Amino acid sequence: MVLLLPIIVGGLRAFVFRATVEHRRAVLELFDHGQSDAVAAEIAQATAARQPVFELIGQFERELESMSWSDRRTYAGPFDEFKDRLRKLLGPFPGDAEPALIRSQYGQTRWDRAQEELRHTLYRTEYDYSDTSRMGRPVAVPRVTDFEGTCLEPLFGMLERDLEPMLRPQWTFYWRFLFDKSIDAHFFGGIWPEMLGTLYLTIGAILFAVPMGIISAVYLVEYAREGWLVNVLRTCISTLAGVPSIVFGLFGLAFFINTMHVSHSKSVLAGSLTLAVLILPVVIRASEEAIRAVPQTYKEAALSLGSSRWRTITRVILPASLPGILTGVVISMGRAAGETAPIIFTAAVSMGRPLHVWQTLSEATPALPWNIYNLCQEHEAVDEIRHVQYGMVLTLVMLVLLLNATAIIMRARISRRLTG
Amino acid sequence: MASSQAVFPVRPAAASRSLLLSKRASRTRRLTAAIGHTILLAITASSALAVMFIFFYIARDAIPFFQDRGFREFFTSVEWYPAADPASFGALPIFVGSGLVTLGAILVAVPLGITAAVCLSDILPFGVRQLVKPVIEVLAAIPSVAYGFFALVVFAPLIQEHGGWILAITWWCIATPPLAVAAFIGGDLLADRLSGAKHASIGRWIASTILFIVAAGLLLLVGLRFTNVEVSSGTNALNVSIILGFMALPTVISVSEDALQAVGRELREGAYALGATRAETLTRVVIPAAASGLCAAVILGIMRAIGETMVVWMASGNASKIPQPWFNLLEPVRTLTATIAGDMGEADHVTGSARYHVLFAMALGLLTIAFICNTISERVIGRSVAKVR
Repeated sequence: MVLLLPIIVGGLRAFVFRATVEHRRAVLELFDHGQSDAVAAEIAQATAARQPVFELIGQFERELESMSWSDRRTYAGPFDEFKDRLRKLLGPFPGDAEPALIRSQYGQTRWDRAQEELRHTLYRTEYDYSDTSRMGRPVAVPRVTDFEGTCLEPLFGMLERDLEPMLRPQWTFYWRFLFDKSIDAHFFGGIWPEMLGTLYLTIGAILFAVPMGIISAVYLVEYAREGWLVNVLRTCISTLAGVPSIVFGLFGLAFFINTMHVSHSKSVLAGSLTLAVLILPVVIRASEEAIRAVPQTYKEAALSLGSSRWRTITRVILPASLPGILTGVVISMGRAAGETAPIIFTAAVSMGRPLHVWQTLSEATPALPWNIYNLCQEHEAVDEIRHVQYGMVLTLVMLVLLLNATAIIMRARISRRLTG
Repeated sequence: MASSQAVFPVRPAAASRSLLLSKRASRTRRLTAAIGHTILLAITASSALAVMFIFFYIARDAIPFFQDRGFREFFTSVEWYPAADPASFGALPIFVGSGLVTLGAILVAVPLGITAAVCLSDILPFGVRQLVKPVIEVLAAIPSVAYGFFALVVFAPLIQEHGGWILAITWWCIATPPLAVAAFIGGDLLADRLSGAKHASIGRWIASTILFIVAAGLLLLVGLRFTNVEVSSGTNALNVSIILGFMALPTVISVSEDALQAVGRELREGAYALGATRAETLTRVVIPAAASGLCAAVILGIMRAIGETMVVWMASGNASKIPQPWFNLLEPVRTLTATIAGDMGEADHVTGSARYHVLFAMALGLLTIAFICNTISERVIGRSVAKVR
């Protein structure tokens, strides 16, 4: 529960947040959602509000040119740093060339991030090493001290005071987070490719594992006579259930990709097969239990009516145990959707477009669990896309919990039906 | 008799045709049955033999490493520089890291888990159990990467800022429930020894409370000593141990609860009938009878912790050195699973190099540990079932 709380709170911030005008501009230009005239009007208002800022900057640039060479040198460095920060906050200045990176074409899209950026614009961090026994402590130094006595000085107060009309934050429910593709390494857009990848992998794993699992369970319960062979099979299945998930990943790499060559390199197919092996014991056990739970009288009645053994199984036992088997399948879907380690080497890539169904045979996909890892460990701007990470974790956890809740409810129904 | 014959006239010819198959029909039927049986067996065997395949393919890629470099360096050296030239593959610190993290996780999971199981099966009312079981199941279902994210993004900064307090709180969380149960049981036993039957229940409460206060005082003192500890980095063995402990908790609780339930009503009622109190029944009858099941719970918890990848990869710090002293949980460690996950990205392009094969050697090690643990737990559970019956 302690675990879920921060994830839910943080995750909701990916969906519900105060979006700035830059967010609406980005959504309009990159995804073509929203009303273009309303956004254009807002952009005009925001530009008007920003006008004094750029005027002051232009004024300071002129002042800088009239300064002596040494003065210019003291001011130029901090001024460039300040301008870079400001670009990050508000987007490119009017008159700038169009930046190559999409993330630098827009200012901050979220109000919480914008305030964080504002802090970095107004203050720079220095480290205090006066106490040598400890690590250096960060100290915030107002940048305004760098520009004391110049015409840039009032700008800092203005930014602090008037950021709101410049960015025009509004509460927004960004449900498209789930269904937009990501643009520029998750700076914009949503998590659709990851969602789709997880969906493909899960369904693929189920497709491979469920038929095998049910047939094995039928054999173990209905056909097999107790003996050394069945003992060996059972031991194998329980050992399979205990194999660490990372080993499945290596196995998938060594067997499905390097030996069987199901695909040239990582692919959804290879990942699904690996996940199928992983969930096989879960499916077998659940189906076995479900089949055992079918009352013996059903079977005897069917046999006494003259139906063959196979017919009894397909027409009587399997239909009767279907809800139980489905419960197991749903639980194993949750397991397959959440596993990361097996797909690292077999299916997952960090960046990718949403795949079409026929591409799953040969191409790798981004997937929720892997991209959560990737975004919070290997992304170049980890702190700036925290909300995306939280949103992804929340989506994955909710997906898995939903599947498990379904399974629990289904099982409660079954036990109620069996007891009366 | 006569009338029934009149109603259901038996025609011998028709009966013999429907009941007795011709030789050929019976042969085909037996043949199809045999073929069907074989096909089913083949499918079952192939899914069961997946584990053999895993062993085979992991070993096939692991053996070249041992042929090339031998066993000694891998198991005894502490130099892990797979990318250097000449490379060195001393995996000892990595094994120690895995062991340390698992030990920490067990220290968290076992006292809490077994206490929770005892409470659920013997102390708390049945309704609570009905409520708690699904919650535990859901906890077990949360994906490991979500735990890892929590460990890295939420828990690691907390540990870095307030390491001492986290340590103290963890200590209290771990030690309080077992001590509370111990105080409860101890109080029961003490009261039975000291007073007669007259004031038994009051005496029991008083004794329990006194014991509990003494225990809580001790706990508080030890915990407060922990608060002075300073932590230099939040991603360390302590963080991972706590998170892994909570991940292993559902396994430990449900397996040990099953073991306690398997003891059955008869034994408990027998003990009550002989005049034992609830505490005596628990300590003298139920727990000894379920001991091997509890062992199995611990082993399964170990398996869960040692095989976990994402949490340790994200939050253990990934430094391949042995902590000084070896049980120092505040230092970053590197585990087998995290090494495999982390290094394969680089070793993948050089399939066939020692760097690639060493990861398979580690996987083989993991697989062997898992196999041994699994076999032991199976044996133990089997024996406990036999014993109870």
